[in-house]
Amino acid sequence: MAVILAMTYQKKLGLPNFSSHSCSVSVTVEIPDVSVAALESSKLYALLQTAVDAEIKEVGYMPDASSYGMRTDFGSNGANGNGSNGHQSNGSSRNGEGWKCSEGQKGFILRIVNESNLDKNDVENLAQQLFGIGVKELDKMQASQLIEELLEKTGKGKGQRRQWSRRQPARV
Amino acid sequence: MISTTDPTEQAPSVEQSAGERISELQKTISPSRLSLFLQCRLKFFFRYVAQFEKPKTAALHVGSSVHAVLKAWNKARWQERPLTLKQLHDEYSRVWNEADEPVQWEPGEEEEEKKTGWRLVETYMRESKIPPTLKPDAVEVPVEADLSEHGLPKLIGVLDLVQQRTIIDFKTSSQTPNPERVAHTNEVQISSYAVLYRHNTGQREAGLELHHLVKTKNPKLVVTALPPMTDERQSRLFTLIEGYVDGLDRRDFIPSPGLQCSTCQYFAECQAWH
Repeated sequence: MAVILAMTYQKKLGLPNFSSHSCSVSVTVEIPDVSVAALESSKLYALLQTAVDAEIKEVGYMPDASSYGMRTDFGSNGANGNGSNGHQSNGSSRNGEGWKCSEGQKGFILRIVNESNLDKNDVENLAQQLFGIGVKELDKMQASQLIEELLEKTGKGKGQRRQWSRRQPARV
Repeated sequence: MISTTDPTEQAPSVEQSAGERISELQKTISPSRLSLFLQCRLKFFFRYVAQFEKPKTAALHVGSSVHAVLKAWNKARWQERPLTLKQLHDEYSRVWNEADEPVQWEPGEEEEEKKTGWRLVETYMRESKIPPTLKPDAVEVPVEADLSEHGLPKLIGVLDLVQQRTIIDFKTSSQTPNPERVAHTNEVQISSYAVLYRHNTGQREAGLELHHLVKTKNPKLVVTALPPMTDERQSRLFTLIEGYVDGLDRRDFIPSPGLQCSTCQYFAECQAWH
């Protein structure tokens, strides 16, 4: 009786500007019997990992973060960035660049990152750690939480919050 | 229309005029501000328009210290490094000593109150039954909801804890909440939090919970679980907000004399009102 061994190796890595890329390689082989399955799978794992690592080093096209996807009319619809109707009825609507949070929150996150020289990969990792998803996927509540964390991390959590808080509501 | 001494004389440091402050107060609304307006409009005026400064009360200091420790505890378990009781006590001592506003203590009162607060924290740790491994959805997160399509100001607020789509609000009180009335007496907060949650996540909340830490001789935790907000409750909230905006338009800052006046910090100012 033929024994089929199927294996997939996948790796996903973060890239600057909250991007990521991934590479996945699958293989299916026939082995003589189950007694060699452990040995064969170990060999396959090493083989697939080597193959993926070789490919994923190539990051391919990387957009210019200062201009890629930027709206030319940004700011013309008011500071809250909620779109032309001025209202978002839920947290699932996306702004023009694929972020689920509001334009204001997106701008605020990028501003903290830029002004505090934070590594965007660290911010991406923080979002993954807290919510299990990337920064662009955060809804408005999650983005607000991330902003709180970033402000705290950069020492702007309490004493200096006033100057940063124009787009963040406060307990009043 | 209020008729009292010129508030700017008593609050010289405030540069904004009363009219400008009222205009600002109409742009956004928070549950606590709305609750205070509904409780007593003159007290609202003294606090938010005239901005009379008062020392923080002992009860408020206990409440905010306990609140801060619970926030630290929730954040720590979120980051999968739960705090020990000793670490929580250290955090409690730190926040207790770092009061953001001066507190006016009676002789010997501070030590007593500090012990009371810590006993509340211990009670919560013992009785809340929240598994340390359960990850929150949000901890003390500031959120806002644009209600302009309803002709209302922006709603702002802070959610103490969201867990498994349930909104949890911490409260410290000296009396056990009445189970029949607790939903009604906290209606403004409950409905506001539900509106905020929905606007910021696009989801309906699974429910709401009020976690009352009661400062009785033997402190206890009373958890009140409430269902998701109904459409009727949302309409009531929006009507109350409308009343707030209209009241500020009319400069309607009349007092509401009643039992609550016995503990009001603005009692003297209220007496002088005419």
